[in-house]
Amino acid sequence: MTIEETGPNHPSDHILDWLEDSVPFFSPFLDETNNSSSLNCYQWWGENQDTGEDLINGCLSNSPTAVSTRLPNTPTSHHLTPSDLTKKRKAPDDSVHKKSQTHQNPRKNQNQSKTGADKGSGAVEGVTVMKKSIGNKKNSSKSTGNNYNNGSNREGRWAEQLLNPCASAIVKGDATRVHHLLCVLQELASPTGDANHRLADHGLRALAHHLSSNSSFSSYSSTVAPVTFASTDPRFFQRSLIKFHEVSPWFAFPNNIANSSILHILSEEPNRPRNLHILDIGVSHGVQWPTLLEALTRRSGGPPPLIRLTVIAPTVEHDQNIETPFSIGPPGDNISSRLLSFAKSLNINLQINRLDNHSLRSLNSQVINKFPDEILIVCAQFRLHQLKHCAPDERFEFLQNLRKMEPKAVILSENNMACSCSNCGNFDTGFTRRVEYLWRFLDSTSSAFKGRESEERRVMEGEAAKALTNDGEMNEEKGKWCERIRNAGFERKIFAEDTIDTARASMRRYDNNWEMRVEEKDGCVGLWWKGQPVSFCSLWKLGIKSNAV
Amino acid sequence: MALAIHDPFDDIALSNYTTSTNNSDDHRHLAGHWNYGSPIVDWETFSGADDFHDLFDSMICIDNPPYPTEDREEEEEFKGLRLYHLLVAAADAVFGDHECPDLAHVILIRLNELVSPSHGTNLERLTANYAQAFQDLLDCAPLNKPHHHNHHLHRDHDHSPTDVLAAFQLLQDMSPYVKFGHFTANQAILEAVAEDRRVHIVDYDIMEGIQWASLMQALVSRKDSPSAPHLRITAVSRGASGRRSIATVQETGRRLVAFAASIGQPFSFHQCKLDSDESFRPSGLKLVRGEALVVNCMLHLPHFSYRTSESIASFLSGAKTLNPRIVTLVEEEIGHGPTMDGDYKVQFLDSLERYSAIYDSLEAVIPMKNRARTLVERVFLGPRISATLRRIGQRRRSSATVEENCLWGEQLEKMGLKAATISFANHCQARLLLGLFNDGYKVEELGNNKLVLGWKSKRLFSASIWVSPSSSSSSSSLSDSE
Repeated sequence: MTIEETGPNHPSDHILDWLEDSVPFFSPFLDETNNSSSLNCYQWWGENQDTGEDLINGCLSNSPTAVSTRLPNTPTSHHLTPSDLTKKRKAPDDSVHKKSQTHQNPRKNQNQSKTGADKGSGAVEGVTVMKKSIGNKKNSSKSTGNNYNNGSNREGRWAEQLLNPCASAIVKGDATRVHHLLCVLQELASPTGDANHRLADHGLRALAHHLSSNSSFSSYSSTVAPVTFASTDPRFFQRSLIKFHEVSPWFAFPNNIANSSILHILSEEPNRPRNLHILDIGVSHGVQWPTLLEALTRRSGGPPPLIRLTVIAPTVEHDQNIETPFSIGPPGDNISSRLLSFAKSLNINLQINRLDNHSLRSLNSQVINKFPDEILIVCAQFRLHQLKHCAPDERFEFLQNLRKMEPKAVILSENNMACSCSNCGNFDTGFTRRVEYLWRFLDSTSSAFKGRESEERRVMEGEAAKALTNDGEMNEEKGKWCERIRNAGFERKIFAEDTIDTARASMRRYDNNWEMRVEEKDGCVGLWWKGQPVSFCSLWKLGIKSNAV
Repeated sequence: MALAIHDPFDDIALSNYTTSTNNSDDHRHLAGHWNYGSPIVDWETFSGADDFHDLFDSMICIDNPPYPTEDREEEEEFKGLRLYHLLVAAADAVFGDHECPDLAHVILIRLNELVSPSHGTNLERLTANYAQAFQDLLDCAPLNKPHHHNHHLHRDHDHSPTDVLAAFQLLQDMSPYVKFGHFTANQAILEAVAEDRRVHIVDYDIMEGIQWASLMQALVSRKDSPSAPHLRITAVSRGASGRRSIATVQETGRRLVAFAASIGQPFSFHQCKLDSDESFRPSGLKLVRGEALVVNCMLHLPHFSYRTSESIASFLSGAKTLNPRIVTLVEEEIGHGPTMDGDYKVQFLDSLERYSAIYDSLEAVIPMKNRARTLVERVFLGPRISATLRRIGQRRRSSATVEENCLWGEQLEKMGLKAATISFANHCQARLLLGLFNDGYKVEELGNNKLVLGWKSKRLFSASIWVSPSSSSSSSSLSDSE
């Protein structure tokens, strides 16, 4: 014991001493001051200190079990061990799982202490049990709080509670607060945790990126860039896309709606077979089409004599920060040959024309090589929002150009979220909206992969995270899109009943938090996650009278 | 970023330790403690855009710690910063405008990965105790609810009596905090009742009663009086909620009676129970004409248990109506300034400074990662930290109703009590007491009725003396009698 070393230099008026009637209380040191007589009343302090030390030592050494059993900390014992990183990261993710653990633990602990196999741990866990039961007593009050939170659906979302204030602090120029929040994010962020940890990780990187681009400090390269489409092997890339289609309707649902709509449009045509020309402005990287091709072989009239697929590849900017998420695949990715051989096996006459280095604004009938007598269907998915929407309104111009191509139909799928561009709000407003977008992606993707880590998941999430740093990325809400496309001379069409039915049936395989909503008002079909809109699909045909000049 | 929490003597065997050798180092290191030197504390400072360069520099550091692992000091400094940020974020999540319990839980999980209350540096153990305190707050006290008297469930009572006794003993040995409060109050009481034949002390929280043993000793050895005055002590004890505490008070009374008999001090002991809501009824006291009435109120000392501010307020205001000869008050000395507006951030940072100063002061006496100190931290300081956080939380929720953002001494002044002068002898006694421990301890006199005990530059506890305006010289004029 170490007490002996410190004792002699110090007064020791021990409670044990005076309880035992020996009264050492104050040392005679006050005599040196020659002060008032009243001070002398403390003379008896300082005697008998050896006795005191013995008592202390006895006290500690006589109760080694008491000390040692208390030493392990209860918080670590009922949280997770530090070494088990993955476990810890997942813990807040799965609240149901956590709850069941909570309920099991007390019983387990009781059993342990009953058997007395390990008295030490039993004692520690006994404390844990008590804490748990206290927590349970408060359940009623806690649950009311939860109900309140459910209204805004914010429960369990902690990462944005750091990210958004940090963005605000950046706008306010409060460097101290920014630094503080970044430090906290640094502690809590993880590329492999639950959706919150991941969001914190991507958000932290995005904020750092913003800070580095705002100042002249341009050599920022310290964090590892996330895996994106462009950095993957082409075969793995396609496997990831297909896997993601299987587990999440994020893209599968709009694809399903588009394919069903194309089939329906063909079915409405008179019997005379015409060629089908699909203008693919999307992010499906060809994964969407095999199902359509197969469905075409099964329709009563058989497939059209010729199917032309014109793929508008995104212009490669060699700058990840202006690339639209999910649009750019890895170099060397060419699904065309596989699609062609697949079509051949189905006896379908397929032509694929991939247009590289054509910006969306430059498209017209000549560029896409439109033939007079073909059925042109435009399938635009998650790409048009990269066009600017104000001064000049590139989106409107594009839609006008589209109108001039006189397509049979336009199927537009877009993220149904508020615009995050710098014209629509400060950095923090935009950032908050991007965070919201990414949260829905990460949260739903976490469910899609059932919380499991996989390379496919990492790729999809890394690609989605581009939305946070992407300068050009800006969503727009459904209403504005509809208004704009109507003004460009299109007329809304309601999705056919079989399209809706097929889409609804396809939703069964996904997580229960996904929801398909058919809007009576505007005929759009929405995809929702946990009561929040994610994307919408809309179907348009040429208006009788074009508003466009 | 001078954030030295590291004890450079960690690796030196305890037997080599001498107080004189490392004091100067301690000064230097503590000057850069996280409250004083860190640029981060300055929460609201607006900084120009240029600061983002610095900010960015520091971010790079965080992403890519440049510290080689063998450089322990820098590493610990770096870890200290991380812990600091996490603690402040936890305070934000728990006390902030937007309650974020989920965020708080995640932060606490992270903190528990980083620290343990029984290992590591001062800062790490302190952080672990803060994490535990936040956890208590989240588990046991829904902040949006009015205060419940559920604090008895807290770990104040988790400890075995043996542990508590040993820890109290160690606290007494390792630090002057308890003695400072007792001796300063006792000295003031002795001076105030020097001429009296009958003295009645009403004690708010008698605990183990050790304060009165020394007072009795002083009374029986008064040189200038023929015999010791009759001493009566009324211990104000918790009501219905504290069966255990009453038992303790009774035990304390028995000991005091026995002790008084052994030294020939005429003595009687009484109890006055608080109401079920822990409020104080002066009418519950037995008062005797001709007694010098002394009101003693010890608060916030490390080993004291938690009392609600409502209870303290009712005791002080009730005691004032009794027109006492003298009121002795020991409490935490809370930093003052223009920011004392109930801002939880200020209060939280103040508490961090306070407890890290206390931890450091204990370490200066027992420097090693010592089981004894861990015991004191676990038994006393942990619950004190819990109580402090709970108080901050309650102030936050009930900011308008309870006016307690200032010191209790100030409340006494508002009630109309007058400051009584601290005698020179009393001041000297305090200095001498501190001199026995470590020259890191400071005592200063404030407003001439208050002695403040501090560690280095952080004021920690104050003892102040107050008198009734009407009866500063005459004995109690109350007519109530048994």
